[in-house]
Amino acid sequence: MSDDVIQVQGLVKRFGALTAVAGVSFTVQRGEIFGILGPNGAGKTTMLECIEGLQKADAGKALVLDMNALEHPERVKDRVGVQLQASAYFERLTLTEILNLFGKMYSRRVAPEVLLEMVELSDKAHATVKVLSGGQKQRFTLAASLVNDPEVVFLDEPTTGLDPQARRNVWELIQRMHAEGRTIVLTTHYMEEAQHLCGRVAVMDAGAIVALDSPAELIRGLPIPFQIRLSTSIPVLMGELEGLAGVQQPVRQDGDYYVMPSISAEATLPALLQWLNDKGASPLHLEVISATLEDVFLELTGKELRD
Amino acid sequence: MLLPLILANLKLIYRDRQAAFWAIAFPLIFLLIFGLFNFNDLNPVEVVVVDHADNELSSGLIADLDALELLELVVITDEGAARQAVSDGDSNYLLIIPEGLDPAADPDDLTLIYDESQLQSNQLVEGLIRRFLDGANLRIQGVEPLLGLQSEGIQGRPVKYFDFLLPGLIGMGVMTFSIIGMGTTIAQYRQQRILRRIQATPLKVRTFFISQVLAWLVLSLVQTAIIMTAGTIIFSATIYGNYFWVLPLVILANLTFLNLGFIVGSLSKSVQAASGLGNLLTMPMMFFSGVFFPADSLPSAMSYAVKYLPLTPLLEALRGVLLDAQPLWDFPMQLALLMGWVVVTGVVAVKTFKFE
Repeated sequence: MSDDVIQVQGLVKRFGALTAVAGVSFTVQRGEIFGILGPNGAGKTTMLECIEGLQKADAGKALVLDMNALEHPERVKDRVGVQLQASAYFERLTLTEILNLFGKMYSRRVAPEVLLEMVELSDKAHATVKVLSGGQKQRFTLAASLVNDPEVVFLDEPTTGLDPQARRNVWELIQRMHAEGRTIVLTTHYMEEAQHLCGRVAVMDAGAIVALDSPAELIRGLPIPFQIRLSTSIPVLMGELEGLAGVQQPVRQDGDYYVMPSISAEATLPALLQWLNDKGASPLHLEVISATLEDVFLELTGKELRD
Repeated sequence: MLLPLILANLKLIYRDRQAAFWAIAFPLIFLLIFGLFNFNDLNPVEVVVVDHADNELSSGLIADLDALELLELVVITDEGAARQAVSDGDSNYLLIIPEGLDPAADPDDLTLIYDESQLQSNQLVEGLIRRFLDGANLRIQGVEPLLGLQSEGIQGRPVKYFDFLLPGLIGMGVMTFSIIGMGTTIAQYRQQRILRRIQATPLKVRTFFISQVLAWLVLSLVQTAIIMTAGTIIFSATIYGNYFWVLPLVILANLTFLNLGFIVGSLSKSVQAASGLGNLLTMPMMFFSGVFFPADSLPSAMSYAVKYLPLTPLLEALRGVLLDAQPLWDFPMQLALLMGWVVVTGVVAVKTFKFE
């Protein structure tokens, strides 16, 4: 079996006149946490559902664990774990009953106690979904996605609508699932989430992948990936700062602060320190601010990530 | 896989106490309410008589009228007070026998004063007295009537209103429980994306739906058994036929109701909408298909049309089987209609169904 657990080629999905997924190609390697980042309506969920075998693509190919999701969706479904966006579970069954029931739908299954233990819901084993908090519900859906001990897990916006504490909690769980050797594909419209969790990120807009790389590389690919903020004890001439290696159009901010956009922090910082040293001055404040995926998205699409 | 799913469905429906309560309580409440009315014996109608003639003929008339089962005569003397009582609504009928009631002396007519708001019994009472007087006239004149009427009421078994009502309530209970219950369940599963979540598992969607239908069929049989038991034990309804025939009838008809429930669930965006649409569907059938009264008391065009509603053939066959002790195969038309409905609603249910 190849190390590419997911291979997608020229995937197209249309709804009437609307093309939700417009010829997408990418591969996901074993053991990755692969993020699909994009605003609402970018086609993330539709693309994911085509790969999971939930929707029939109109053209292209999606191989999951070397099985064709378009031809044999039920085989793919048996081997992957799925967490759907905003999906609930039977209101009047207990967590154990739900996991038992879902387990029976697969050829391989994990005991409910093990799953609940993993997501720290053992004390709620005989409670119903109704009494769970938002964060607990989300943890339960993660447990349910592991009911068949899958090698690949698809998570559709796993933290949407959660408070920061619950979000951290879910992130930890995803990392734990990853540490167990599972490949994880997740969609998100939170850039912090993609940056925090994902080894590689596909940036999606209007049904197409506009960039695909690790978060660090995506940021490095920006024309101006850094900003250096400085305040110092001596008067500074703009012309002097502009002459430093890598600096582009510095501006004065909040009185005594100078902000220098830089194409390379590695080049600018030594030059800046050398220059200060030559002047016999020392920095009162020196800060290197890295661009974020938010900036990457803005640069690639001309749009804000959040709506 | 089917069995665990059926068990889970049964658990889910059983734990929905409200639904379970209504499935059983609704028909029983009807049984209780209709039990308060007494449809079996008509109470005699009271007729106040003022007898101004006070002779042999008039007292004979009064005695003969009073002997009629349907009338109860009360003789008083004050005509003014009696008229006042009618206009006050205290009594409904006042019969005034004029003075000088003598066959030899061309007597005045008798007068019947009645309260016009008593529409139904007015015709009855008036007709009864008129016919009685016609008979009396003939006899007084010594004419033998040429045409007589011998009436023979044929009633194989003493069927009480309750006996008639019980099969109606079985049909109604199964219909409302299945259409509204299945409708709201499907609407809820779609709204909460449970259907989508199940679609994401290797389980065949067909298996999921078959398990739903089987669970509801099991429950409808339990429901039928409870209504029948309560009806016969608590309300002492009598069942003359073979209980066993109820099973295939309820199952066959319920397939249509469950299909209708699926359709309701598919067309409704929310649980509330499904409940509303379900009621819209069940209410007319409840009243027109003859749950409480025979459907043939409707205007003829309408009673012809309601014969084809899915509840009507079920009730006809249920009553035939339970009250007239006929075997199931005596109802080929009803069975054909029920099967036709299963096919038609099944096709529509498949066409209208959507996951999201």
